[in-house]
Amino acid sequence: MAYQGGGGHDLGHDPSTALYHDSPGNTVTCRTGAHNICMVSDFFYPNMGGVESHIYQLSQCLIERGHKVIVVTHAYGTRKGVRYLTKGLKVYYLPLRVMYNQSTATTLFHSLPLLRYIFVRERVTIIHSHSSFSAMAHDALFHAKTMGLRTVFTDHSLFGFADVSSVLTNKLLTVSLCDTNHIICVSYTSKENTVLRATLNPEIVSVIPNAVDPTDFTPDPFRRHDSIITIVIVSRLVYRKGTDLLSGIIPELCQKYKDLNFIIGGEGPKRIILEEVRERYQLHDRVRLLGALEHKDVRNVLVQGHIFLNTSLTEAFCMAIVEAASCGLQVVSTRVGGIPEVLPDNLIILCEPSVKSLCEGLEKAISQLKSGALPAPEKIHNIVKTFYTWRNVAERTEKVYNRVAGETVLSMDKRLERLISRCGPVTGYIFALLAVFNFLFLTFLRWMTPDSYIDVAIDATGPKGAWTHQYPYSRKRGKNNEMPQTR
Amino acid sequence: MVLKAFFPTCCASADSGLLIGRWVPEQSSAVVLAVVHFPFIPIQVKELLAQVQQASQVGVAVLGTWCHRRQEPEESLGHFLEGLGAIFSHEPWLQLCRERDSKFWSCKATYQQVPTSPGAHSEDQVMLIFYDQRKVLLSQLHPPAALPDHQAGDATASACGLAAVFDTVSRSKALFRSDQFDEGLVRLSHWQSEGVEASILVELAKQASGPVCLLLACLLSFISAASTCRVFKLWPLSFIWSKLSTCEQLRHRLEQLTLIFSTQKAENPSQLMRKANMLVSVLLDVALGLALLSWLHRKDRIGQLADALVPVADRVAEELQHLLQWLMGAPAGLKMNRALDQVLGRFFLYHIHLWISYIHLMSPFIERILWHVGLSACLGLTVALSILSDIIALLTFHIYCFYVYGARLYCLKICGLSSLWRLFRGKKWNVLRQRVDSCSYDLDQLFIGTLLFTVLVFLLPTTALYYLVFTLLRLLVVTVQGLIHLLVDLINSLPLYALGLRLCRPYRLAAGVKFRVLEHEAGRPLRLLMQINPLPYNRVVHTYRLPSCGCHPKHSWGSLCRKLFFGELIYPWRQRGDKQD
Amino acid sequence: MEDELSFSDIYGGRLALQRRYYSPSCREFCLSCPRLSLRSLTSVTCTVWLAAYGLFTLCENSMILSAAIFITLLGLLGYLHFVKIDQETLLIIDSLGIQLTSSYASGKESTTFIEMGKVKDVIINEAIYMQKVIYYLCILLNDPADPHGISQVVPVFQDCLTAVTLPWRASLWCSSCLLLDGDHGICTD
Repeated sequence: MAYQGGGGHDLGHDPSTALYHDSPGNTVTCRTGAHNICMVSDFFYPNMGGVESHIYQLSQCLIERGHKVIVVTHAYGTRKGVRYLTKGLKVYYLPLRVMYNQSTATTLFHSLPLLRYIFVRERVTIIHSHSSFSAMAHDALFHAKTMGLRTVFTDHSLFGFADVSSVLTNKLLTVSLCDTNHIICVSYTSKENTVLRATLNPEIVSVIPNAVDPTDFTPDPFRRHDSIITIVIVSRLVYRKGTDLLSGIIPELCQKYKDLNFIIGGEGPKRIILEEVRERYQLHDRVRLLGALEHKDVRNVLVQGHIFLNTSLTEAFCMAIVEAASCGLQVVSTRVGGIPEVLPDNLIILCEPSVKSLCEGLEKAISQLKSGALPAPEKIHNIVKTFYTWRNVAERTEKVYNRVAGETVLSMDKRLERLISRCGPVTGYIFALLAVFNFLFLTFLRWMTPDSYIDVAIDATGPKGAWTHQYPYSRKRGKNNEMPQTR
Repeated sequence: MVLKAFFPTCCASADSGLLIGRWVPEQSSAVVLAVVHFPFIPIQVKELLAQVQQASQVGVAVLGTWCHRRQEPEESLGHFLEGLGAIFSHEPWLQLCRERDSKFWSCKATYQQVPTSPGAHSEDQVMLIFYDQRKVLLSQLHPPAALPDHQAGDATASACGLAAVFDTVSRSKALFRSDQFDEGLVRLSHWQSEGVEASILVELAKQASGPVCLLLACLLSFISAASTCRVFKLWPLSFIWSKLSTCEQLRHRLEQLTLIFSTQKAENPSQLMRKANMLVSVLLDVALGLALLSWLHRKDRIGQLADALVPVADRVAEELQHLLQWLMGAPAGLKMNRALDQVLGRFFLYHIHLWISYIHLMSPFIERILWHVGLSACLGLTVALSILSDIIALLTFHIYCFYVYGARLYCLKICGLSSLWRLFRGKKWNVLRQRVDSCSYDLDQLFIGTLLFTVLVFLLPTTALYYLVFTLLRLLVVTVQGLIHLLVDLINSLPLYALGLRLCRPYRLAAGVKFRVLEHEAGRPLRLLMQINPLPYNRVVHTYRLPSCGCHPKHSWGSLCRKLFFGELIYPWRQRGDKQD
Repeated sequence: MEDELSFSDIYGGRLALQRRYYSPSCREFCLSCPRLSLRSLTSVTCTVWLAAYGLFTLCENSMILSAAIFITLLGLLGYLHFVKIDQETLLIIDSLGIQLTSSYASGKESTTFIEMGKVKDVIINEAIYMQKVIYYLCILLNDPADPHGISQVVPVFQDCLTAVTLPWRASLWCSSCLLLDGDHGICTD
């Protein structure tokens, strides 16, 4: 069960969120029927990050619960075509051009033929898009609505309201979400943010937190040296993650405490700042830059430290601090976004996002550590272990699906009406026009290749899944199919 | 596994007798090589087989019997044939039989060690595969199978699959050597080479080729020794040799000729093919060159050319002068830095002046030079083309000079600008770590840097314009030279012999085989026809392409554009040595 | 023995599949694509000629008309000789190999024979092709250097792309004929 911190964040009395707080025991049996779910996002394995692992873990748990799940993402280098992952999770790596930050270019139209083909041949009933940064996710939502499929969207990030880029993104988000059936946010702050940004009805927004696999993040107190204090930072080294703050903290604390070491894992454009800091203050033996980490190595890095530092400037739900806490580290973090909701106050020290405040927070943690006031890692792990599990997330997501499956999809005229009425006079009309074009394009495609010509794909997962039932030797076949499929 | 019997089509009409061939146990296939006709003495057959086996290192054996029923079926013959199995024991014993009035053959394979069930191996388990012995013998599989080791005997000869069949046939030449017309002790039926007369001529040519090769090889070695003489290695000469494409071409041809006339025998078919390709290429080259020569010397075309050349050079220089004057004004309405513009323009004008006087000094001798150059065409068209390319390079030397000056100036400015831009942003290039670091500058450093930056930025358009114009001219010359080089490379590297072979004798170059299912009747063995699948033309060219004298530009279009943008020199001369750096 | 089945390709056209059993060890699939229809031929020719006529009225140069005729003729020849495939054949000979033949409309045939020793497996693969996702049958070739590796993937019937049912049946057929081990591709029922 999710820990709900900062109680006042709930926007009004929300029946949809209240639904999901009952215990897992009595929800397993309610199986109204299996869904054919298509997860769409630009971010998926082999890229690494929160969204990627969220999609993967959620898909795995949904497959376990008997649904058919496929993932659609764009091609990563030579990895294109169709692949199967564990438990027959089928992944389509579509050959779409990547524009910026692993996000594809959006024209709202060019991806329609392929996505339509996939939706039809996989008999998808629910489209689940992830991350508002992903152009492909928005494209898929747009097309799915044109095709009359039910749509769910998960927002993983927070946005501001002030600068030009966020104003534009917020407008796009409004357009994209105004006729989406259901929206999932990862924390209450995120929900608040999304509802405000996209001017949504809070009733169709649910909160389902992220989860971590607690068995992957177990403490190992013997790996750390108790003579010195080690602070671990694991994040991408980009502006959003507050690398600039980090470059201010490191010299200050290193001067104050002689027995303090830093281990920094992650890669990014801001790495050079840290390297310069290290060179300027001669801290080569005390600040270790590990570079890009694989997900499986994160735990081995975490257990080497005593304190975990998170300097994010904006964060919807910080998985990193949960992982660190699960490894038994004392977490020091900025008080931004959904972070206050994630962990109870006795496990985290929250600071303002400034060098001074963060240094104070770290000093407090160091003094606690030195005085031995911190709880044992094993104890922290046992507490955190119960908070977030993927099974729980999957269960709650399944309820969203059940609810969405009962809803009706807006017809074309209602959709246009809503676009015009909700999204402002100019944008509304523009996107209504685009929606009409999209519909015409779809009609053209349906005329070119009627749905009846598209042959139905063989299910790997789901109720009739070839992987899960019937064939004991399905494992081997999977191996056959996993060779490079590039043509 | 189904038993496969490879049967040569030329033996289909042979009289009854014994099947001779090789048994490949790994694939359970029997490769029939010949048929021994009936009156024979078993001992002699065995002797013959032993001889062949020794000569070819192939385990040739008697595989079974062949029965061709021209007349009414004779019961006695059938029994007799079965009886032969006892004399020449072989596992399995094949019994092929062709009926008189039917297209379908019967085939039986019996195993003597299992006498209880000889009929258990029913007939449909035998597959008859016909092959054209001549084509299979002459063809060469691509890609060549791992070269069978002749010393190691037939154990290693079992290359995979069908390569084994090809190998068996091609190595059993000893068996085919015995002729139909000379009455041997054993009468065989197999593929015969036709035309004894033609082979006499071939033999004569073979005999003559040895001394001719020796003579030519001596001559060539003499020439190459002369060319490696020490006088030519001195500094200015060696530099010039390496820059002239004519010398490269001559050296390349010399190497080829040495290889062709080397007295060593070609070791494998591919080497032989290479020699033939080279010979044809050289011959064609010389023929084309002679044609060019005859064309040039008819109607005094050389004189006309020489008369036209000087005015053309003059004209080019004049055009360049006009261009420079245009650039010194306000080209295309652009406002340039007047002082720099004038300096650059005058500098280039003086250069052109020098060039014109040089050409005029040369003009009396040009016809003589051209005449001698024309003679060189008898060495081949490629040599003449290379000389043409060199002449173009020499005549456009001023353009090259302009380009180098322009590029150097431009490069200097670009470098200066980029480093000053970094200074402007408070960064600097760290040479040791090959990265951009941030760096705090003093105020006066920043001041001077910014001033310099401004000056450079305002002077950049003038330099860039000069650079652009001369780069375009240079690129034009390079393109013309490149086209000539492409033509030369084409003549040099096209495998004409192999292409001709592919055109006239498609089976000689085999990419593999293909099968055709022949008419089939239930209860009879399946009959397949094995044909040679010829190598496609593009693969012929790909496989047998001769090494050209190699001056391909190494960089791609992208890197070329990048180089042009940053003002780096693009291959000053299209030569081998310059590509590496 | 011969039987004939009908399938639709990914564009909705009809494909006829003929199966011939020559003997238990030798079978043949023959996939015939729809013939070149007179309608499409006429329409293309008319379009080219109309365009040429339009140009002709503009520039009044009769070269354009003759060029149009040549272009149509050469285009048709090229299309028939290099593009239009009439029939694709898959001949499976036990313990000898697999032969793929595609015959063009002009009568040109291109044949590839794959020896049995090189065949590792016959599988059904799924790939993104143009704006479609298709199933296709392909042959995996052994890598001589690496016993578990695959050196090449040879697609079968690549010019008449077919609906899923055909690759599936063909795969079963191949495997039953080649006596390869176990399972091939994705088979559901």
